[in-house]
Amino acid sequence: MIEKELIAASTEPLVLSLLAKGESYGYELIQEVKRLSGEKVEWTDGMLYPVLHRMEEEGWIKARWVEGDNGRKRKYYSIKKDGQKALQAKREQWTLVSSVLNGLWKGQHV
Amino acid sequence: MAFGKDNMFNLEKSMTEWRRGMKSAGIKSAALEELENHFREDIERQITAEVTMEQSFVIAVQRLGNPVAVQNEFAKAASLKRSRLQRWKEPFLKFVGIPLADPLVFTVAAQESLQLGGKEALSFHHDFIGTEHVLLGLLELETGVVRGVLQRLGVNPKTVRNEIEKVVGPGATPRPTNELPYTPRVKKALEIAGSEARALKQTQVGAEHIFLGLLREGGGVAAMVLKTLGVNVQTTREEILRELNRKQNSA
Repeated sequence: MIEKELIAASTEPLVLSLLAKGESYGYELIQEVKRLSGEKVEWTDGMLYPVLHRMEEEGWIKARWVEGDNGRKRKYYSIKKDGQKALQAKREQWTLVSSVLNGLWKGQHV
Repeated sequence: MAFGKDNMFNLEKSMTEWRRGMKSAGIKSAALEELENHFREDIERQITAEVTMEQSFVIAVQRLGNPVAVQNEFAKAASLKRSRLQRWKEPFLKFVGIPLADPLVFTVAAQESLQLGGKEALSFHHDFIGTEHVLLGLLELETGVVRGVLQRLGVNPKTVRNEIEKVVGPGATPRPTNELPYTPRVKKALEIAGSEARALKQTQVGAEHIFLGLLREGGGVAAMVLKTLGVNVQTTREEILRELNRKQNSA
């Protein structure tokens, strides 16, 4: 299990990275993160939606309602230009932190 | 054993309950629609030969998390929206040519009367500063325009105090704090005072503007008492202008 604070801090970069690959909606984003992390990153489902709304307010992503064949409506999100920029900035920060840690842990056995 | 219909899990009935719970946590309908679609998809995908609809409903509720905690996060997103709007408001108004109201400052006399108003509230043992306290503060200021104006309108400051004391009684115990909050009516009256000062092309809000603000606010104890004593906005405004002219001429 990953600590709550780390989950919270990684939500935005995770969502932005997934949306950079293509349009998606809340439920799918959650499933995708679960799958990619081998079920280790588990969001409280409801908490993702306020994050999506906030990122929409920031102008990073945009949303549209799509009605599926089964009549189910889904709100699809896609990344905007400012979102790409935000993702780039976050990516640099995360890469830096992770390379520092990797450097320190090289050759050490935990 | 036969299963009666009452024993069956009724999804729509449970969904209605669920929506009610989410709404009472404060979740707005736009967000609720999105959450409901998520919720239904989660239930549908869980149902297998081993997992009943009822079980998946319970699991979906757990996964979604505490509605109040979720709503708190939505509220944070909404407050971000408001602060963004605020940030755009000024440049936008400037752009379309709507003049911005300059922040006004209070004259020394006005500040002193407001302080006296605070003392009045304390001596009433009240834990707020209401319009009645501000009015008394204005009357306590010996050097102010307001006393002169009232006297010319034929109202004795003592009578004002008596009338106020008839309407509001003292609180039971003295309040320990010196930092009492203004009531919304006082805030409103001070806003009106600002626009009165602006209308007269003044750069500072004087005690006389606050007096007009109290009167025009209309619903507070101060306005009620002044109306009872026959003070009205129009004659007061005229009397204030006369009083200010008199002061200017004698200076």
